[in-house]
Amino acid sequence: MTVVRAQGLVKGFGAGRAARRVLDGADLEVQAGEVVAVLGRSGSGKSTLLHLLGGLDRPEAGTVEVAGEAVTGVSERRLSALRRRRIGFVFQFFHLLPELTGEANVLLPGRVRGADPEAARRGGELIDRLGLRHVAGSLPHQLSGGEQQRFAIARALVNDPMLLLADEPTGNLDVEAGAEVLALLRAGADEGRAVVMVTHETAATRIADRVLRMESGRLDEA
Amino acid sequence: MSARARRLLAAAGIAAASIVVGTCATVGFGLATGFDRAARQADLPDVIARFDRESRSSLDKRVSALPNLQSRSYRTEIKQVFLDHEDRPGQFTRQGVLHILHDTRGGYAIVAGHDLTTASREVVVERGLAGAWNVKLGDTVDVGRVGKLRVVGIAVSPDNVAYPLSRAPRVYVGDQEIHEAFRFGDEIEPNLALLWLNDPSRADVTLTQARAVSFGIGSLSFITRAGVQVLLSQAAGIIISLLIAFSVVALAAAGTMLAAGAHAEVQRRLSGIGVQRALGFGPGRIAALHAREAALVALPATAVGLVIGWAAVSGPAADLLAALNEQPPGASLLLVLALAGLGVVALVTAAATLPAWRAARRSPASILRGGDLARAPRRGGGASGGMLGVGARFALAARGRWAASVATIAICAGVVTLMLALASLLERLRDDPGTVGKHYQLTAKLDAFEVSSVKALPGVADAAPRYQAEVADSFRLGEPLRLIAYPGDHTRFEAPPLASGRRVRSAGEAEVGLGLADALGLRPGSPLAVQTQSGQELRFRVSGVVRALENEGRMAYVRADRLIAADPEVSPTIAIRVQPNADRAQIAARLTALGAPPQRVGGATTRNGQFLGILAAVLRGVGLAVGLVCLYALVQALAMTARERRGAVALLRSAGGDALTVALVFAGAALAVAVPAALLGVVLERVALGPLVAALAAGFAALPLAPTVGQVVLVVGGLAALASLATALVARRVMREPPIAGLREE
Repeated sequence: MTVVRAQGLVKGFGAGRAARRVLDGADLEVQAGEVVAVLGRSGSGKSTLLHLLGGLDRPEAGTVEVAGEAVTGVSERRLSALRRRRIGFVFQFFHLLPELTGEANVLLPGRVRGADPEAARRGGELIDRLGLRHVAGSLPHQLSGGEQQRFAIARALVNDPMLLLADEPTGNLDVEAGAEVLALLRAGADEGRAVVMVTHETAATRIADRVLRMESGRLDEA
Repeated sequence: MSARARRLLAAAGIAAASIVVGTCATVGFGLATGFDRAARQADLPDVIARFDRESRSSLDKRVSALPNLQSRSYRTEIKQVFLDHEDRPGQFTRQGVLHILHDTRGGYAIVAGHDLTTASREVVVERGLAGAWNVKLGDTVDVGRVGKLRVVGIAVSPDNVAYPLSRAPRVYVGDQEIHEAFRFGDEIEPNLALLWLNDPSRADVTLTQARAVSFGIGSLSFITRAGVQVLLSQAAGIIISLLIAFSVVALAAAGTMLAAGAHAEVQRRLSGIGVQRALGFGPGRIAALHAREAALVALPATAVGLVIGWAAVSGPAADLLAALNEQPPGASLLLVLALAGLGVVALVTAAATLPAWRAARRSPASILRGGDLARAPRRGGGASGGMLGVGARFALAARGRWAASVATIAICAGVVTLMLALASLLERLRDDPGTVGKHYQLTAKLDAFEVSSVKALPGVADAAPRYQAEVADSFRLGEPLRLIAYPGDHTRFEAPPLASGRRVRSAGEAEVGLGLADALGLRPGSPLAVQTQSGQELRFRVSGVVRALENEGRMAYVRADRLIAADPEVSPTIAIRVQPNADRAQIAARLTALGAPPQRVGGATTRNGQFLGILAAVLRGVGLAVGLVCLYALVQALAMTARERRGAVALLRSAGGDALTVALVFAGAALAVAVPAALLGVVLERVALGPLVAALAAGFAALPLAPTVGQVVLVVGGLAALASLATALVARRVMREPPIAGLREE
C-alpha cells in the first residue's frame, strides 16, 4: 500500500540573483512498512523534501498525497487534521518543550484539539516500551541526548501515524544512542508505517529498505 | 514576525502611552495654569473688599491711605436682579448679580466684543451666561429695573466660577446707565472695592491696616487673589494630581513593556551583536545604533499619540476651564506637549538602548555563545489544563516579564476601575440624591399645613416640611453654617452616614456636618450656639457628626420646633419621597394643581450638573486611553511570547495543532497575565486608589468610590475582551507563516 506519493515537487529559496531551486521535479513513493533513507550534501534539499511531504511547507509546483489524501493545495485546517492523524515528525534537535516533563511532551499531541482519544493510553505504553518510565518525570534539560530523542520518537508515534518523517534523527547523538534510535525507527516501519529518513550519515542507511540520493533537486536510487 | 511588524507594534505601544500623556498634559496644564492666566488677563485685583454701601468720598479717603496700595476701583454689587434674554424667550433668572462700575479698571477680561464705553444702554455679560443662554453680541438683555441693554462685550472674571456652576450670573454696566435709567443725580454708593497692591506678597499688612480703619463700615469682608485661587483650585488640584499619576502609570507601563521588548529584541540579535563586537564595534557604537533605531520609531509614534490625546480632551478641557472662569492655555500648550513628547522619546530610547548596551559590554566570545533566554526552567510539570495550560506555562516561563506585565496591567485596570467609579459617582452626585444621603426625590414650595394633602397624593410615600436657615456661629461670628430642620426624625428624608456619635433624639440636640465640626472643633457632646438672621440665639448639644456633602459639610440637622420659635419667618419646602415606579408626571401635575410645581432633587447640587457631566466625560476619556495601554501591554507580552516560543508553537502545529489550538495556547498566555492583573487591579482600587481619592476629594463627606459589581464585571470583561483581541491578533499573525519557519529558527 502506497502511503506517500510525491510527484514533480519544485521548491526554491531566495529572490533575484540569490534565488536557488533546491527541489526541481522530485518524485517519491513510499510503501507501508518501508524505510526510505534520503542522502545528500548539506543544502541539497533533503530536509525541504521532508517538510513538503509532511505539509510543514508548501511547494511551488508538484503534488503530495499521504494515505490517499492530498497534502498540497488544501486548506491549513485540513493540513492540520492530516498531520494530526497521519504524520509523525522526528527532528534532529528533538524540539521538546523545556517546561514539560518527558511524559508530558509525549502526551502533548494527544491534547491537541481533535486528537485520537486513545493517544494518552498509547503514550503511556510507548514510554514503557521505549524504556523511559524511570525518567518520564524529568525535564528535558535533565535528560541525555538519546533519552530526549527517544521521547521525541514516542511523541511522533503517540497518534499512531501512518507516516513517520525523521530529519537527521541521529545527527545530534553519539553512536550508541544513534543505533538505539535507528532501531526504533525500524520497529516503527515493521509495525506497518512508512518511514522517510533524511540523513547524511551512511551508517544510518543500514536500517533502510531503499536508499535515495538527492542531487540537483531530484531523487535518484543510490 | 517581520521587522516591520515589530516596529509597528512598538510604535503602537508608544502611541498608546503618548495618548495618555497627551490627554493628561492637555487637561493638567490647562487646569494648573488656567487661574493665573485668567487672573493676568482679567487684571484681577489682589484684594476684593465687600461691605455695606458707603459714601464713595468717605470710603476713598480711608482706602487711599492704605499702605502698599497701587490703585483702586469701586463697584456697586446688587444681587437677585431679574435678568431676561429678550431674544430667547424662557431664558431668565431672578438670581442675577449686577455690577455697577464706577471706574474703568474692571477686574475682568473681555473675550468677545468690547468693554463698556460712554455710549448708553450697554451691558457686558459674563461668558458663562452667554454660553448657557446663547447670548450673542448685539443681543438685548433685560437687566431688572435698569431695563433693556445691548450686549457689547462678553467677559471672564476668575474671582468666581462661571454660571451655571455659580448660581448667580453676573452682568456689568456703567454707573451712567443707572443715572440715566432712574434719572437721579445722587451718588450710587459702592459696596465693593477692588484693590491692586504694589507688593501682593505684603497683602497682610494692607489688610491689617484696612481693618484698623474700617470703624463704621458694616459687614466688611475681604478675599485675596490667593484665597480665590485656593478656593477654585482645590477641585482642579485633585484632578491634576490624578492626571499626573495616570501619566506616570502610562509611561511606566509603556517603559516596562518597551524595555522587555527591547530585551527580547537584543536576545534575538545577539549573534549579530557578537559579530559586530568581533569586528571591532565598541559597545557605545552598538548602543548608539539601537538608540537611533528606537528614536526613529518613537518620534512619529509619540507625535501621533500626543496629537490624538490632545484632540480627545481639548474640547472637554476647554469646557472645564470655561466652567471655572479660566482661560485655555493656547499656544503655550504646544511647548508643554513638545516637552512631554521629548520625555517620552527619551524614555523609549533609553529603554531600548540599555539592554543593547548591557549585552554589547560583554566579551564577543561570551555574546556569541548565546543569550540568557535558554535558561532551564525552575520546575516543570505535566501539561495540565490542555492548550490553555501550555500557553500559561509559556507566559510564566519568563517570570520577570510576566510580573512586569501583570503589575503594569493591574495598575492600568485599577486606574480604569477608579475612572469608572469616579465617573458614575459624579453622575450620581448630579442625578441621584441618595448618593448624598437624601431619600426624597421632589420638593414643592408649599406651606407646612399642606403636608397631609401631599401625603395623600397617589404615588407619594412620605412628605414632611423641610426648613433651611442660613445662620452664623455665635462664638465665631462670621462663620456661616446652614441649619436643616424637620419636625421629627430627619433620617426618614436625609441620612448622611455618621462619622461619630449618634443621631438626634431631642429638640436640644444637633447632628453637625464634618466640615463644620472641623471648622469649629466640634465633637459629640460639644455645645453649638448659632445666631439666626432675626438675631435670636439657639443652643444645641452636638449628638453626632455626619459625613454630609451639602454646603461642604458646614451644616447641622436639628428639630424644627426651636428653629421656628427663634425665626418665625423661616418658611419650609415640602420634601417628598416618591414610591418606587410611581408616575412622577402625575405627581407633578397634582402638586402643580395644589399650587406649587415640584422641583426635582439632584445630588450634590443640581446647578453643577453640566460641570459634573464634563468631568465625567474627561474621566471616561482618560479611562479609555488607559485601556489602550492595557491592550498594548497584552499584545506586546503575547507578541514577545510568540517570538520566543516560535519553535514550540511550530512544533504544536507539526503535531496537528490547528488555528484554534494555537489561539488556545495564546489565550492561555494572555489569561495568565490578564486574570491576575484584573483581580489585582480591582483590589488595588478598593484598598488603595478609591479610598485615597475619596479622602482627597472631600474629607468632609463619605464618597462611595468602591466599584459596583457591574463596573468590576466591565473591567474584568473588558480585560478578557482585550486579551481575546490580543490573542486573535497574535495567533492570526503566527498562523500566516508555515510551521517550518518556526522550526527552522529553532
